[in-house]
Amino acid sequence: MSTLHTISKPPSSGLLNSCLTGVSENDALLFIEDGVYHGSKFSPDLETPHYLTLFSLEEDVMARGLNQSTLSNINIINYNDFVDLCVRYDKVVNWF
Amino acid sequence: MSLVLVKSVSPTKKTFTYLSRSAPYGSNRAQVCLDAALATAVFEQIVNYVFLDDGVYQLLKEQNADKIFTKTIGNAMETLELYGIQNIFIEENSLRERNLSIDDLAIKVKILSNKKLAELIDSSDSVINL
Amino acid sequence: MIFSVVIYSAPYTSESAANALRFSQAVVDNGHQIYRLFFFSDGVHNANKLAITPQDEQNLQVTWDSFIRSNKLDSVVCVSSALKRGIIGADEARNHDLDSQSLQASSNISGLGQLVDAHMKSDRVISFG
Repeated sequence: MSTLHTISKPPSSGLLNSCLTGVSENDALLFIEDGVYHGSKFSPDLETPHYLTLFSLEEDVMARGLNQSTLSNINIINYNDFVDLCVRYDKVVNWF
Repeated sequence: MSLVLVKSVSPTKKTFTYLSRSAPYGSNRAQVCLDAALATAVFEQIVNYVFLDDGVYQLLKEQNADKIFTKTIGNAMETLELYGIQNIFIEENSLRERNLSIDDLAIKVKILSNKKLAELIDSSDSVINL
Repeated sequence: MIFSVVIYSAPYTSESAANALRFSQAVVDNGHQIYRLFFFSDGVHNANKLAITPQDEQNLQVTWDSFIRSNKLDSVVCVSSALKRGIIGADEARNHDLDSQSLQASSNISGLGQLVDAHMKSDRVISFG
């Protein structure tokens, strides 16, 4: 099975670490809300897990003054893609 | 300790895994997570209950929340077993990072390694995460 | 595909309540079905019909209400969360001898069984909190 994990709190929440204790190799991470600071060059922890596919929600990225050039290794997607990802992965686990 | 991961066998039964990640009294999340799990057990679904991160503080012995006008969560944990929820786990690192050992806890729980947590999530139909 | 959406957060305090609505709209727009919306914990405030917002701000409760009506969705507000937060329907107002009600008529008050049922009957359950 594969799981899409959403993370909606900023790096200081430690949520990414918690999430990483529970991920399997076919999983993906989607950053939403304040979670989109993950993987940005303005984040205190630049390290994001390279072994997982990473997504950030465009609306939340743009709202915060971030863009593709400030985010590395992250695929920026919109709400329609978010719905598609929910379909593509077998289940969704929301970390908030 | 050996660990058997339970998967759905019947199409009418689903496996629900609850991740209770919050300390007991600062917010209602611990109680909300517990209430949802008990309701799931009433519907005779398969329930795994995992204490993770600050959620492990819910299990400390000798809690008494009378003076803060709240139900004492430590006592309520016994209701998990009363409702037939037997797969109660505590995540290994969360325990260790907080200098806790099994002897500090109010109820008997199984220790869950990182790898087993990932397997548990992977094999569940629904994961409720608070 | 059949979705359910669970909302844990109050409008205006957390952006996730508004994002739950945006996501739900995208589910419908993409031709999927929503089996149930379940408002839990502080999320029940999204079903308060007595909220007034300044003219230049979106009234999220009203937007939820029109979304639920226009898509004829099943919208459930958790009873134990709702009553203590003053989200009161006609039946509860009568039973508790209250002189007003606050629940949007497009939502129903019911128990946690409806959350479990949503997980059992949906292909995907997405939570916002």
